[in-house]
Amino acid sequence: MLPLDAVGHRPAFFEQDGMDQMLSIVLELAAEIWVVRERVFVVEAVLQSQGIAVSEAVEAFVPDAEQQATLAAMRASMTANMFRTLNREHRAVK
Amino acid sequence: MPMELLHELKVAHRQDTRARQDFVSALRGYMLNDMAAGMKQRYADVVAPAMAAQLGDRQPTQDDVHDAMKGDLYFKFYSSVRYNAQEMVWRSVIPGIEAALPAMVARAAEVQDRAGGTLTLDPTLAPPENVTAVDVHLMPGVYAAPDTPSAGAIYDNGLAVFSAGFMGRELDDIGMSMANYVRKRFPDFAPADILDCGCTVGHNTLAWARTYPGARVSGIDVSSSVLRYAHARAGSLGIAAHFRQMDATALDYPDASFDVVFSSMFLHELSVKDIKLFFAEAHRVLRPGGLLINMELPPNQALDPYDQFYLDWDCYYNAEPYYRAFRDQDYAGLTQAGGFAPEDFLQFTVPQYTYMSEEDFTEAVQRPAVIDGQTGRLSATLQWFGFGAWKR
Repeated sequence: MLPLDAVGHRPAFFEQDGMDQMLSIVLELAAEIWVVRERVFVVEAVLQSQGIAVSEAVEAFVPDAEQQATLAAMRASMTANMFRTLNREHRAVK
Repeated sequence: MPMELLHELKVAHRQDTRARQDFVSALRGYMLNDMAAGMKQRYADVVAPAMAAQLGDRQPTQDDVHDAMKGDLYFKFYSSVRYNAQEMVWRSVIPGIEAALPAMVARAAEVQDRAGGTLTLDPTLAPPENVTAVDVHLMPGVYAAPDTPSAGAIYDNGLAVFSAGFMGRELDDIGMSMANYVRKRFPDFAPADILDCGCTVGHNTLAWARTYPGARVSGIDVSSSVLRYAHARAGSLGIAAHFRQMDATALDYPDASFDVVFSSMFLHELSVKDIKLFFAEAHRVLRPGGLLINMELPPNQALDPYDQFYLDWDCYYNAEPYYRAFRDQDYAGLTQAGGFAPEDFLQFTVPQYTYMSEEDFTEAVQRPAVIDGQTGRLSATLQWFGFGAWKR
């Protein structure tokens, strides 16, 4: 196996414990988000090239009431999860 | 799209990997241009006045600037992003290379002899401590693999991501800019034998062969892994170059063998003692009328304390232990320690050959060296720095 980590001490730029690691996590997440966004873009472009006008269909898409409720619940769950460390009640979030 | 390597050792990275590499390049581009500009402004507006109030009459040194900046939130984020981006560069290429390695080795065997170049390894050469003790510029396992081209592949693919579009389509803009500087500035100079020291994957070595097609071009490095890769890469690109595993501080060439001894981004990986040994060896193997020419970061003495600190970030945080000690030197003095005469010293700055017209470049090489905060620093307004000396 080729090593993935450089040898040696990793410097800390922030005084607060965990902050340096937190930034690594955020940047890895950002990279993952970009990978997914680009993949969605590519999927749309591929479908488009096959004659399926998915980009237009996505833009014109209007969710029905049930779908709107599902999306609202997904958003609420994501927001609650994002801020769970700030929320003393976070254990209540499923 | 990420920069695709133009030779047959290239790795066919998958879509998600290519997207990740693009992200890392873009992150580096943002950090090197936008964040760097923001940090300099922050220094001017907030950090420098506070520091001046503390220092009183004393002029700040690079260390004062570094100490003051360490406490600044902008610097912390800049540094953390830069450090993480450096790690992410390597991580974005290594798994794909690992998967592709068996096929790459087979491909290398097919293409390496295509152009008439040679590879001569020296299994008795013990790798010096400066390439084994640290993972230089945080490249994992930097020169650790003697029997495979993996270190070469990681360096080449990593550089394509790292360079964020600042180093040319074949990652050879440094070599092209230096070689063409010599060609344009000294049109009567016609080197027949050219040596690139610390050549790694030969990306800048081949620039000399392109610029002086009649010359015999050689490259040396202490790492057999990068040389295996360099040899096959050159074969694939159809350029004859002669790679040998050798230590630049003890060259295994007769006296007066070369007309040009070149290095790029190499001296800052050596101790000052080894630089002097290398320059003495360069002086020995050069013919009378030959040229020692090094592409490097500019000397600290030519920069203001902030720009010194900015460039030496790599020494503090990017596993470049010799970087600052080198940049603190008087470069002319280093060439003199190698036996070159003081009046034969030359230094210059040169814009990027790849990204401008032949006419503009021809005009630019006639200008005197201007060393400032943009010199040798990856950004949209980059100028490379070079120095060396003629041998009498």
